[in-house]
Formats: sequence, C-alpha cells, structure tokens
Amino acid sequence: MATTNPLGINVEKYKYGFFEPEKYVFKARRGLNAAVVNEISHMKSEPDWMRAFRLHAYEHYTQRPMPKWGADLGTIDFDNIFYYIKPTEKRADSWDDLPPEIKRTYDRLGIPEAERKFLAGVGAQYESESVYHNLKDEWEKLGVIFLDTDSALKQHPDIVREYFGTVVPPEDNKLAALNSAVWSGGSFVYIPAGVRVDIPLQAYFRINAQNAGQFERTLIICEPGSYVHYVEGCTAPIYTSDSLHSAVVEIIVKEGARCRYTTIQNWSTNVYNLVTKRAVAYRDATMEWIDGNLGSKLTMKYPSVYMVEPGAKAEILSVAFAGKGQHQDPGGKVIHAAPHTQSVVVSKSISKDGGRAGYRGLVKIYDGAKGSRSAVRCDALILDDRSRSDTYPTMEIDEEDVSITHEATVSKVSDEQLFYLMSRGVKEDEAMNMIVRGFVEPIVKELPLEYAVELNRLIALEMEGSVG
Amino acid sequence: MVTTLAPAGFTRRAVEALSERLADPRWMRDFRLDAFKVYERLAVPTTADEEWRRTDLSGVRWDAFSVDSEPVAGPTERPELPAGVIFTDMRSAVAEHPDLVREHFMRTVVRPDESKFCALHAALWNGGTFLHVPPNAEVTVPLVSEAWIRSDGSALFPHTLIIAEAGSRVTLLDQFGSYAGEWPAFVDGIVEIILRDSAQVRYIAHQDWMAGVTEVGMLRARLARDSSLNSLVVGLGGRVVKSNSESLLEGPGASSEMLGFIFGHNGQHFDLHTLQEHRAPHTFSDLLYKNAVKDHARSVFFGMIRVHQGAQKTNAFQANRNLILSDGAKADSIPNLEIMANDLRCTHGSATSRLNEEHLFYLMSRGLRRLDAVRMVVEGFFAELFDRIPLEDVRARLHGDVDRKMVQ
Repeated sequence: MATTNPLGINVEKYKYGFFEPEKYVFKARRGLNAAVVNEISHMKSEPDWMRAFRLHAYEHYTQRPMPKWGADLGTIDFDNIFYYIKPTEKRADSWDDLPPEIKRTYDRLGIPEAERKFLAGVGAQYESESVYHNLKDEWEKLGVIFLDTDSALKQHPDIVREYFGTVVPPEDNKLAALNSAVWSGGSFVYIPAGVRVDIPLQAYFRINAQNAGQFERTLIICEPGSYVHYVEGCTAPIYTSDSLHSAVVEIIVKEGARCRYTTIQNWSTNVYNLVTKRAVAYRDATMEWIDGNLGSKLTMKYPSVYMVEPGAKAEILSVAFAGKGQHQDPGGKVIHAAPHTQSVVVSKSISKDGGRAGYRGLVKIYDGAKGSRSAVRCDALILDDRSRSDTYPTMEIDEEDVSITHEATVSKVSDEQLFYLMSRGVKEDEAMNMIVRGFVEPIVKELPLEYAVELNRLIALEMEGSVG
Repeated sequence: MVTTLAPAGFTRRAVEALSERLADPRWMRDFRLDAFKVYERLAVPTTADEEWRRTDLSGVRWDAFSVDSEPVAGPTERPELPAGVIFTDMRSAVAEHPDLVREHFMRTVVRPDESKFCALHAALWNGGTFLHVPPNAEVTVPLVSEAWIRSDGSALFPHTLIIAEAGSRVTLLDQFGSYAGEWPAFVDGIVEIILRDSAQVRYIAHQDWMAGVTEVGMLRARLARDSSLNSLVVGLGGRVVKSNSESLLEGPGASSEMLGFIFGHNGQHFDLHTLQEHRAPHTFSDLLYKNAVKDHARSVFFGMIRVHQGAQKTNAFQANRNLILSDGAKADSIPNLEIMANDLRCTHGSATSRLNEEHLFYLMSRGLRRLDAVRMVVEGFFAELFDRIPLEDVRARLHGDVDRKMVQ
C-alpha cells in the first residue's frame, strides 16, 4: 500500500489514515442538480416512484434554508461533492470474491476475524454501495431480510415502498431532503412477526474516495413481537478536503417488538457527520439507541423515538468524545405521544485538547400522554482548560400526570481518584485512562463484546499523551 | 419583519413630552432621544428568535398603550438611614445626584442597544428607585419600593438602580402591582445592580400585576470580588410575562443566589430566562426556580450556566422544579450548560411532576378535605424555596400568595 496519497500526504502517520487507490466503475460529476439525481436513479434502474421521490426531495432540498442553530454548517461546500460512486460492478457473495484492496482495508478493521468468530451477517458498505453481504441460512428460512437498501428495492419493492420515507419524510429537514434525493446503499432489515434474531446484525460503513458523499439510507422494520440488534460502525481514512456523511435511518418497531441500534462512529476528523435517525414505537414496543461518537470534525445527530401507542419505551445511550478540532453535538429526542410511555436518556461526554462535546436533546410530552415517565441524565468530563462542554436539554411538558427528571453534572477528573490509583502504583496516564473508561462504563457494558473492546481501544488511543 | 412598535404611544413626540414633563436635564433628554433612535432601528423580536421562541408578542396591540407620564415608581417609605446612603426616586436622583446616575444609568450593566425593549425603556423610563450605599455602610432595615399600574392602557417603564459600594450591605424589596381592574397594560422594567468588592445585596422583586398585563423585564447584576447577591424573583400576575434574571460573576470569590417563585393560573404565560455567567475563578452560583401552573397556565424556564475559560474552581448549580396542578397546564424546562473551564463543579437538575396522589391520600385519611390537602402539598412544594428567605414578613406574604393563587 502506498504511504502517500495522490496529494502527497503521508497517510501512514494518521491513525485510521490508510486508504486504497481509487478504482471505480462509475463516478458521477461533482455537485448536484436535477440531472444528477435523474442519472443516479437511472444508473440504479429504479422504479418510477423512487425516481419521483428523489426528484421531489431534491426540489425541497433546494428550497429549504440551512439550519441556523447548533454548529456552523456554512463551511460545507455542497458543490464539491460526488453524490454517487459505484465501487464495483457486481456485489460479492463471499469474502474471496472481494477485490484485494477492499479486503486489505477491511483486514485493518478486523472484519474477517469478527466473522470468523461468530458473527452472523456482515453487510459492509465500501463507498456508496454494499459490496458484501452474508446472512445465516436459518434466518433466511425464518423470513429475515438483511440486504443493502438498493437490492431490497429490487427484491422486495412492496415492503420498501410501504415504509420508505414514512418515518423521516424528505420535508423533515434540509439534510434529510438531500439524503432522500441522492441516497445510495445502507441496510434494509425486515424481521417477521415473533422472530428473535439473537446475534447482532452488523454492517461496516466506510468512506474512501476524496469528497465522497456518503448518503446511506437504512430502513429497519420489526414486525410484532420480534427482536433485533443492529450494529453499525464507522471508521474512515483521512483525506485533505472535507467529506460529508448524511445518512437517514428509519425504524418501525411494531407492537411488542424490540429493536436495538448501536453505532460506533469513528469518521476521520475532517468528516461532517449530519445524520437523521428516527424510530416509531408502537404499543408496548421498545426502541434502544446506543450511540458512540468518537470521530468526525462535526457530528450533529439526535436519534429520536416517537412513542405513538401506550406502553412504548425508549432508551438512548450516548457517548461523545471530542479531541482537538472536534465538535460533537449529539443527543436524542423522545416524543411521548401516548399514555404510559417511558423513556431513559443517558449521555456521557468527554472533551479534551480544545474539543467541544455535549448533549442536545428534547423531551416532549403531549397532552393526553398520561402516566408517562422520562429521566434524562447527562454527565460531562472536561480533561483540560481549553476544552468545552455544552448541555442543551429541552423539556416541553403539556400533560399533568407525568414524572420528568433531568440531571446533569460537569466535572474534571478528581485529583483524589488520580492520587488513589497512583498510590497503588498505576502510572498517571494509565490512571487517567482507567478513570475515563470508568466514566463511560455504563454505556460500554451495553455494547456487544467486540465493540466494547473496540470502543475501549479507541478511547485509549484518544487518551494517548493526554498527561504531559 | 420590522413591524413597528411605534404607534400613537411610543413616538419621538412621546419621548420629548415625557422628558419635558419630568424636567430632565439636557443630558438625560439626549440620552432618551438617542435610545429612541436605536429603538426605531431594531426589529420587534418574533418567535423566530431563539430568545423569544416560546413567547409570541405578535398579538399585542402596541398602539393601545400610552406612556404614563406621572412618576410611576419609587421608595414606599424613607426610613432613617446611615449617613451617605441615598434612597430616592429615579427622577430626584437625576436632579440631585447627576454624576452618579450619569455614570451608571444604563451604561455599565444594561445598555439601550441590547434589544428593542431595552432601547424603548431607555427612551421612556418614567420612574423608579435609586439606591446608593457608600463603602462599608450597613443598612439594617429592609428598604421597600414600588411601582404601580394606575390606569387602563398605560405603559410603565420602572427602573431600579442599586449601587452597593465596597463592603456595604443592603436589602431592597421591589413591589409591582396594579391599583385596580384587569386593565390591559404594558410594562418594560429594568433592574441594574452593581456590587463592588465584598458588598452584600439582597434583592426581592415581587410582581403581582392584575390580569391583562404584558411584561418584559430584565434584572442584571454585576458582582465584583467577594461580593454576594441573594435575589428572589416572584412572578404571580400579568397575562404574558417574559423576564430575564442574570448574574455576571466578574470578581474572584463572588457569589450569587438566584431564587424564583412562579405561580400561574388561568391562561397566564411566564417565560423566565436566567443566566449564571462565571467570568472569574472561585465564583459560586446557586439557582433554584420553583414553578407551579394550574388551569391553562404555562411556564417556561430557560436557564444557562456559562463558565468562561479560566474561571477555574467555579461551583455552579441550577435546579428547576415544576408542579403541574391541572390537566391543560404546561411547563417547559430548558436548563443549559456551556462550560469552557475544567476545574469546577457544575450541576443542573430539572423535575416536573404533578401532585402526588399518595401524599394527598395520606393527608385526607387524616381527615383533611381534599382542598386543604392539596394546599398543604403545594405549600410543601414551595417550602424548600421559602425556607431560604430569612425575612419573616416576606415569607408570610409568600405563603399568603400561595393560598390566594390556589383559590383564584
């Protein structure tokens, strides 16, 4: 593998800065207009309704102003992005069929090992389309569908058409409109009624081409009484100009079903990560978002749960780590629109080396959502005096019969804790590392084993050199 | 978007007439006219502005108000005070202590160009209280001042300015009310408090307008080294109330206690914004807002703790508790933190709940009527707040306020 990229940048010195020479079948032009949207739809041989959906979304995208709150999005050059890149002509059916350079990239992420162990299905998104999918036979027999969304549109057009865009309509926000216009790839998961998928479904997402926009679209449908744990992880190589990642994730959790969605986001620190994730939970359904944000230049991501029928539950666990030049603005939204709904939000954010991390969230209790409960807890750890932590929770309560609590603390690593560990012979940097690991422990323990290991390893990497 | 707020009532002509009537010196007249220019330049805030997102003024008929040109506010009584203490109405202060007023009045704490309503206030202030406590003077009796709405359709711009010099101590109770009648009226009040090194000030704003009043208000204090402020904001009356309470902790060792007691009924709307701004190390702030709403009332608590870089060893606390007493009442809570220092302790908490039926059941099983049981639980809700007010008269009055609001 080359040690410098075409721009002469030594990529080896960056932690996840490995990259592969670009070799793509088709590359759309930079920038976006209705013709490009048409071309994307044509290249994918999509049905007319999807083409119309894309064009409608593009229309809305052009008219919608950029959001003004939160971080400054004015620095993104939307005209300098490739909106669609097709990595290889055919999708690979087994690991051996993958092109060697793509395999090498995955090797460094440890995917084959993961698969060798016990992983059920790997859907890996290299560039804008999934190139590798594998799903255990017995689940296929049960009727579980785990495909990339493009294939799902071809093989299961009726299901896709029934649910696509119903949770996050193109009019929801400007970036959802952009995604709706140019989406490509992502996962489609369908769990039939009563089926419990015991081993997590996993997909890795990667950005590799310079200025490659990644607009994946994930749709998960849990029929009544089913269970699934979907895991999405991202690591991206480093390039010089800014990349944009703007995904839309839609989840429908029907009566009595439970869905858990786990993300470990580790985009390289020049990626704008602007994602719309939303779930609708019906009667007695449970939706859980576990959201780890370590990478990217800017992340604005507020996984939401709309609890629309009695007994629905929501849980959001969020970890954010902002290092030098990073702004993590994650959070969550829980919308109580039915009686006896419950939500728990736990956020842990860490900022160091001038980074900015925090929590932005909404608890909305509609009139009539009697007996609803919501508890929000935000903790922040600031590791040096140049870093910043923000907490912006909003609670809108239109119902009398409720119990809502919010708590937040901001602190530093206490000298006593450090002293205690060091007096036991632990070196200062390791002690600091242990304290930070302990701080995020409540969330890490909810992760599947290999992700917990990966998260701990990433935090250890981020913490390197934090004690001078 | 520039819908003018300047019909018959709020015009340059009105500013000139008021200035003449109050016999302003030339500098004050110029100050008013300059501020009025700023007012004309700025747009009326709309719900598109984050600060005004939850309070909609678009239905307010600005041309229905005219400035009350009689002095509307000032000290209620003038007890005997230590030598050098100035406690007088704003108009007399302008005449008798022009240097002090000119140096501080809307210059160092709140400025006319901050917002349209600050500018309007600067142009049309029509009364208020001036309190200057010289170094190391201690005023032992609580001082009382007041502002009144006296007629239908009047616009009130009361101004309170407190300057507590180094080492001084003083307590001021500011009362705001209506003479009679549920008149539509507009109030745009500003309170400025300057605390020099080691000064101690207790300030209570007791607002009990009749229904029909639209109020925008600002209370801001600047705290120097080792000074301490205890403030209490009481919000009971009015139809739409949007007010800000801000403490700027600028000297090491400064400390601010910020309390809020809000009780809304019928269709009342309270939108309370608070700011605890820590600009120096070793500063302390502790905020507790207790809001109760019944009928179709709505309360909004929007709090911000901002700790600047270098403000190490800061302790900042913010708590908001809301009690929703009726189906149909609403309470929003938005407690924010922006922290740019690392060696500190900073917490905030918010809880919203309704009456605890078990508590009520317990009390009723002891023979209390439901009405009395409810009253007792509501009293209990506020007790944590009232217990922190060391003035017995004020506490008794607040208990009375709760009883009255319960049956209103």
